[in-house]
Amino acid sequence: MKHWTEGFDDDHADEPLVRPYTITGGRTAPERDDLTLITLVTVISEAPADNSAGMRRLQPEHRTILALCKQPLAVAEIASALHLPVSVTKILIGDLIEAGHVRSRPPLAFAQAGGLPGMSILEAVRDGLRKL
Amino acid sequence: MGFASSDHGARAPLAVKILIAGGFGVGKTTLVGAVSEVAPLRTEEYLTHASIGVDDLEGVGGKSTTTVALDFGRITINGDLVLYLFGTPGQERFWFMWNDLVNGAMGAVVLVDTRRLEVSFASIDFFESRGIPFVVGVNCFHGVRDRTQEEIRRALDLDPQVPLVLCDARDRAAGRDVLLALIDHLMAAHTRASAHPVS
Repeated sequence: MKHWTEGFDDDHADEPLVRPYTITGGRTAPERDDLTLITLVTVISEAPADNSAGMRRLQPEHRTILALCKQPLAVAEIASALHLPVSVTKILIGDLIEAGHVRSRPPLAFAQAGGLPGMSILEAVRDGLRKL
Repeated sequence: MGFASSDHGARAPLAVKILIAGGFGVGKTTLVGAVSEVAPLRTEEYLTHASIGVDDLEGVGGKSTTTVALDFGRITINGDLVLYLFGTPGQERFWFMWNDLVNGAMGAVVLVDTRRLEVSFASIDFFESRGIPFVVGVNCFHGVRDRTQEEIRRALDLDPQVPLVLCDARDRAAGRDVLLALIDHLMAAHTRASAHPVS
């Protein structure tokens, strides 16, 4: 995968060609606060044809997300692929959830609640790591 | 709350996360890259205004946004479970996004460099104060083992229950073993919690 800095002029690396919030129509905060860095996003069904009413309102970035999420992908992975900040990416994903194009699966919130992951998860992770 | 259950037709797997923390230059991204199934990815987030001291904005003029970068990797455990590894900056000014970073995290690995132990103090404080389980990985990639484990423990003021593991962050097997040490630590905590449930 191309590194995000490739093709960027170093002097202007902080200045994207398009201001990210232009893509979101000026919105700076996601309407939903349930998307986390590792919330997995999956396309629900085949994206509608480009000329359908639903697709015409979508930005190219929305379409890219739909193409990426044929396999479940984390919000952070989508942001990385789009070369967009996480907060901007969350707004775009929120649009697609709203429109019924994708579904999201949040992580379990164990550490935040001071709890521990279940033993079955720990065993699965241990077994998976041992195969590395 | 079984992780194998799926309330979605497409059976999206469950995502879990381990944080790889520590000060600048201790080898966080190196460790992520050593064990990840993909080359480390990078994502960015805006520093919120709330996280920037008011004084800092003076004279900034039109430059209203600053971003912080996060490097992360992925290990597909099985069809039902994906493990993400997030290299997390230890500096306080990044902590505004730690709620999101901590969400879904099983625990953390705090990497330390014996030549600069102090750069990882903030990370250890963070996890201790929030009760998030962690292990300490002593990155020996420069081949220098100039301090004993006991000396490092003392210098870090480490709780005796927190495991300390020597590792080489560049090495896949060594990186895997640090992650396994965290899983063992979590399993032990689990067993203790089941034996003596907190009322």
